[in-house]
Parts: sequence; C-alpha cells; structure tokens
Amino acid sequence: MITTSRRARLAWNIATYAVLITLTVFCIFPLVWTFLTSLKHEADIVTQTIQYIPTRITFDNYVAIWTQSGFPTLVMNSFVVTATTVLLCLITGTLAAYSFSRFHYRGRSALMLGYLVIRMFPAVLMIIPLFILMRGVGLLDSRLGLALAYTSFLLPLFVWMLKGFFDAAPKELESAARIDGCTRLGAMVRIVLPLARNGLVATSVFVAIAAWNEFLFALMLTTSQGSRTWPVGLQLMVGEFQLPWGVLAAGGIISIIPVMILFAIVQRTMVHGITAGAVKG
Amino acid sequence: MAERMSAFSEPSQSIWRRLDPAAALGRLSESRYWMYLLLVPSAILILAVVLYPTVYGFQLSFRQMRLNRPDLGTGFVGFKHYIYMWSDKVFWLSLRNTAVWVTFAVVIEFALGLVAALALNRNLPGTKIMGVLILLPYFLPNVVAGHMWALLLDPRLGVINDLLVRVGILESYKAWFADPATALGAAILVEAWHGFPFFALLLLAGLKGVPDDLYKAASVDGAGPIRQLRLITLPMLRSVIAAAVILRVIGLVNSPDLLLILTGGGPGQSTQVLSLYAFQKAYKDFNFGYAGALSVVMFILLMLFAWAYVRVSKVNQD
Repeated sequence: MITTSRRARLAWNIATYAVLITLTVFCIFPLVWTFLTSLKHEADIVTQTIQYIPTRITFDNYVAIWTQSGFPTLVMNSFVVTATTVLLCLITGTLAAYSFSRFHYRGRSALMLGYLVIRMFPAVLMIIPLFILMRGVGLLDSRLGLALAYTSFLLPLFVWMLKGFFDAAPKELESAARIDGCTRLGAMVRIVLPLARNGLVATSVFVAIAAWNEFLFALMLTTSQGSRTWPVGLQLMVGEFQLPWGVLAAGGIISIIPVMILFAIVQRTMVHGITAGAVKG
Repeated sequence: MAERMSAFSEPSQSIWRRLDPAAALGRLSESRYWMYLLLVPSAILILAVVLYPTVYGFQLSFRQMRLNRPDLGTGFVGFKHYIYMWSDKVFWLSLRNTAVWVTFAVVIEFALGLVAALALNRNLPGTKIMGVLILLPYFLPNVVAGHMWALLLDPRLGVINDLLVRVGILESYKAWFADPATALGAAILVEAWHGFPFFALLLLAGLKGVPDDLYKAASVDGAGPIRQLRLITLPMLRSVIAAAVILRVIGLVNSPDLLLILTGGGPGQSTQVLSLYAFQKAYKDFNFGYAGALSVVMFILLMLFAWAYVRVSKVNQD
C-alpha cells in the first residue's frame, strides 16, 4: 500500500517536472532564439541548413540598430511617454486608490465599478475620437498626448491594484498619527504611502511596462519621429526597409531588456497585486 | 496669530503650517468631502480621455467622416453605416473569425494555464524559477512577440519548420502565415504563448486559497487526483476562472495588435477580426464613421457576452 502510493507520488513528481520543463522551454525558446539570431551574421541567418548554435558571434546587429536608424530617438520617446504616464497615474491614481481604500461613502462601490468598466471600452472606439480631439487641441503626435491616452486605460488598473496594497497597510498607525494631530493628508503622505511603498513601486512598474510595450495607440496617434515610440518605429522599419532579421532581433532584445529587469526586480509584489483583485472579487 | 497657534501646537504640525500650500491642502483634507475631492483629479482625466471620446465615438458612428474625402462633409447619416455593415461580407467574416480566434485562444490558454498552475502549486524544489520564466511572455511587448514568432515560423529560415521536418511531421517547409488554412491557427498559437501566463498567474493565486484539508479528506475517502481536480479544485476556483475568462475575452476582442503585426488580416481576409477591421478602416482608409460603427457593434456584442457570461456563471454557482 505504502509502496504504491510512494510510487504514485514519484510518478506525479516526474510528470510535474516534465510539464514545467516543457512549458518553460515553450515560454523562453522564442526569446533564446531571438537572442541567438541577434548575435549571428546575416549570412549565418539566411542559410540553406539552419545554424542552431552560432559558429561566430558578432555585435554588428546591435551597433547597426543603434547607429543606423532613429532607434535611440524612439527609445527616448518611449522613455518620456512611459515616465509621463507613470507620473500621471501616480498623482491622480494614488489619491483615488486612497479614497476607495480608506473611506466608506455613498456611491463608492458604484464608482469603483465604473473605474473597472472603463477597461471594457474597445481601444478602437476611443482611438478614433482621441485622434480627432488631439488634433483639435494640438496634442496629436506629441508625447504628452500619447501619455494622456495611455493613462486612460492604465489608470483604472493602477487604482484597483494600488487599492489592494492600501487595504493591506494597517490602519492603526494612521489613527495614531491622526490622534497626534496629523491632518488626513499628512497621515496619508507620511504614514500610508511609506507603508505601501512596495505596492506603489510594483503598481508603477506594471503601468510602466504596459506603457513601454503599447503599440496600437502609438501607431494611430504619432506621425513623426518627434514622438514616435519604439514599437511603432520598429514595426515601420520592418515594413519600409526590409530590416535584416539580425538587426530586427537586436532591436527587439534591446527594447525588452528594461522590461525584463523591472519584471525581475518587482515580480513577486507585482504578481501579488495583479492577482489580489481577481481572486478576492 | 498664526505664529502663536503654531507655538502651541505639536512641533510636527508647525512644520506643516509653515509650508503654505501644504497647510492649505492639509486643512482641505479635514473637509467632509475629502473622499470625493481625492477622486477629482482621476475623474477629470477619465472624463476627458475616456468617457468623452467614447460618447463622441458613438456619435461618430452616425456621421459621415472620411478624413481623405473632406468633400463628403461630416453630416449626420443616421443608420447608414449600420445598414451598410449588414451587407458587408468582410464584417461577417471578421465576426466569425473573432469568435474562432477568441474561443480557441481562451480554451488553449485556460488549459495551459491550469496545467501550469497545478504543476507550480505542488512547490517541488527548483520549480520557483520556472514559475517566473513561465510568466515572462505575458509581460513582453506584442511587437517583439510577433516578430520573434514570425522568425520562428518563417517559410525559409523558420526553426520550427526545420524541427518539424527533422522529426518527420512535415515533408517540407510551410509558409504558416501565407496559407489561409493555417494562418489563423498559427496566430492562435502565438497568442496562446503570449496569454496563457495570465491564466497561470490567476489560477495559481486561486489554488493557494483552496484549503489543504479538503484534499486530505478526499484522499482518505479514496478519491484520486483526477477526481480531486474535478470535485474540489475546479469548483473552488470557479469565481477565479470566471474573472480570468471574462478579462481575457475582453482583452482578446478589443486588441488587434498581435494580428496586425503577424498577418495584417491576411492572406485574403482569413485572419481579419472585428477590432482589426475597425482599426484598418480608420488607420488606412480614414473612414472614421464606419470604423466607429464597427467598434460600437463590437462593444455592444462584448457587453452582451459579458452580461450573459456573468449570469450563467452565477446561475451555476447557486
């Protein structure tokens, strides 16, 4: 009896490892392949028989994407748009999340639901009017305009995620500060925000990654090199110049490095924040 | 007066009082309406960049608006776009493709996500790092994901073709995205890769909330792993599954990004979906009125689905 259950256990453990290794390979193989491609000479990419391990390594592709195209400008634009989006979310979203987390008042749950329903609006439905509106006020093809558009669909996520972190911060310290004469604002800034520091960072990173990666709004709302972000720039380069595979791969690797670094740093807290709402609700 | 007040109050407070704008805000925060005031900045943003454009978009769908044909004007045309849609073959084709795309992607992503979550939840030594790596695709940009897979599936240089030929499944290299019969399937594979970590993430969090006692009791009663999955795990995860499915369906219906990068709707219209069709009507043809009507129809269908799905999953729960 014991031996069979032990054997069954062993079988399940082996199956578990097999499943996880298969899924891990499935998940990272495209990344590994892209990385290998970015290190190959173009002649070794376009070959009769596929070269699995590069026989000679080159960094020419990285040099090419960085110097022979507007890639640095694109990355810079993306950086500015991402930073602006995070800033807008931080300023407006933190206040809203705090209100939802700490006060109980009429219309609170309806408002929270309202913030959530906004996410259901199709991007396409908003993109067209945003295009017309932004053209009207001179924000079309500007980095601020794009950041505002990103805030529209990232702010609700930001508020919901951050509310979860605020909920987890103990209320007692805040009450103590209030008794000591702190204003509500003072208690929030000096007690609650430092307590929810990790949550603030993780939520900001989540928004930053989404803004950094965004493609559709950027494609529609930017028209020139002055505000174009890297996903749009890279996509257009593929179409216009028949970008060589190695150079394209190098561009892809460069642009996902910030994502991977940020993800690695705050992965645990961020995952916690993403799942908290869905699991509770 | 103010100085004398600060002299009597707490030192920390006097620091606040000296900074004037901060002090004013601090006093404001004592108001009865502070909780509403906190919402004002975000509400203004949302009104300006979400609600107003959305209402405008609805209104646009009843108007003529073609940026490349200013001669047509921008007058109201009633239900013209909607009537045209009824006879638009591409619309019906993209509706059908949307259904196929979303259904298959969600089913595959759910299945892979569940398997991954169950495996990760056993917490075997050395699997933590795999848990992190499995989540990674979800955070990668569509543009890079699309081109990585385009390279893997390339008809001349694609390593997947090479492997399949070596193993003997394929006789010769296949142009996955150029063949109308395989293009949508190949795109669904890429989407599954990109989206299944989302299910793994939510389901794993849900599994952590299932009490161990239930499994112990079940194994005492002689229930095997498969029965435990069917009778304990899945019922306990029902609300998480419902939330994950609905969020994913919304995401899949609304975002044409991946298909735009991989196929652009082609070959022919074999991978055309509603969101992509609407986007192309706006981006390529500048036919904003018709694109607006298409996205309104998509939005209404999505709302109907969400409403029906929530009702059905509630009924099942009772």
